[in-house]
Amino acid sequence: MSSETLVLATSAALFAIGSAGALLHRHPVAMLMAIEVMLNAANLLIVLGARVRGGADAEAAALVVLVLAAAEAVIGLALALALFRRRPIPDVDDAAELRG
Amino acid sequence: MGNLFVPLALGCLVAIASALGVILARRPVYAAIFLLVHSLSLAALFALLSAAIVAVGQIIIYSGAIVVLFLFVVTLLPTGGRELAPKGGRVTAAIVTAAGILVALAAALSAGALPQAPTVPGDLTVQAVGQTLFSTVIVAFELTAPLLLVAIVGAVVIWRRHEPRPRTAQPAKVTEPRTLVMHR
Repeated sequence: MSSETLVLATSAALFAIGSAGALLHRHPVAMLMAIEVMLNAANLLIVLGARVRGGADAEAAALVVLVLAAAEAVIGLALALALFRRRPIPDVDDAAELRG
Repeated sequence: MGNLFVPLALGCLVAIASALGVILARRPVYAAIFLLVHSLSLAALFALLSAAIVAVGQIIIYSGAIVVLFLFVVTLLPTGGRELAPKGGRVTAAIVTAAGILVALAAALSAGALPQAPTVPGDLTVQAVGQTLFSTVIVAFELTAPLLLVAIVGAVVIWRRHEPRPRTAQPAKVTEPRTLVMHR
């Protein structure tokens, strides 16, 4: 097993773990943390591609993804705190105002 | 990359174990600490993959800003972050989805063969990445600034919209004059 295959497998496993966590949790903060794991898995794949193909633009893209993750965390946590105003123990299934 | 196999395997092991800790921890405080370990292990993996500037950015942005933000929010939680137990359907859905995504990703990633790494270490210097950042992906790079601004303004708007009105602004409630009701 080469190092590249190992990192590829790790990235796939991390993405699967993160998606399972995002579906498992009813707490919005725990859900956001699982989504951060998924973003990290994607970033790992980008960096591996940059290493294998020797592309500097892929590493620049990975940096942009990092900033994107920060913006996403800010908005997600604000939404989570807004949900806490409604119920002390929140459930993401409660936020269903957009249901048709 | 042959001599780096053992450190890479160690980093992958820590990353997967801490990711499992993030999603299985019962309290959000422990999940945030696991997320810190996870982001640090990923920074180590980035450094091993000779992506120095991404590793530094991961430590500064992820471990420094995002995890601290999560910890702040967890301390603001009214019940210490207690969570309702997951419903039975959610556990099944999570396991099925994770298995499906794993199979699909394994099939997709094994179909596209990786070329043997032709790069010599030190090929991707910080200087090369910086030059790309300011030439090829300059649009995306510059757009991150308004993105962050919009995120900040959006967070404030979401927070203020649900804020209860200040008490002084409420008009004094006029009580109805009581009327005498005769019951027969």
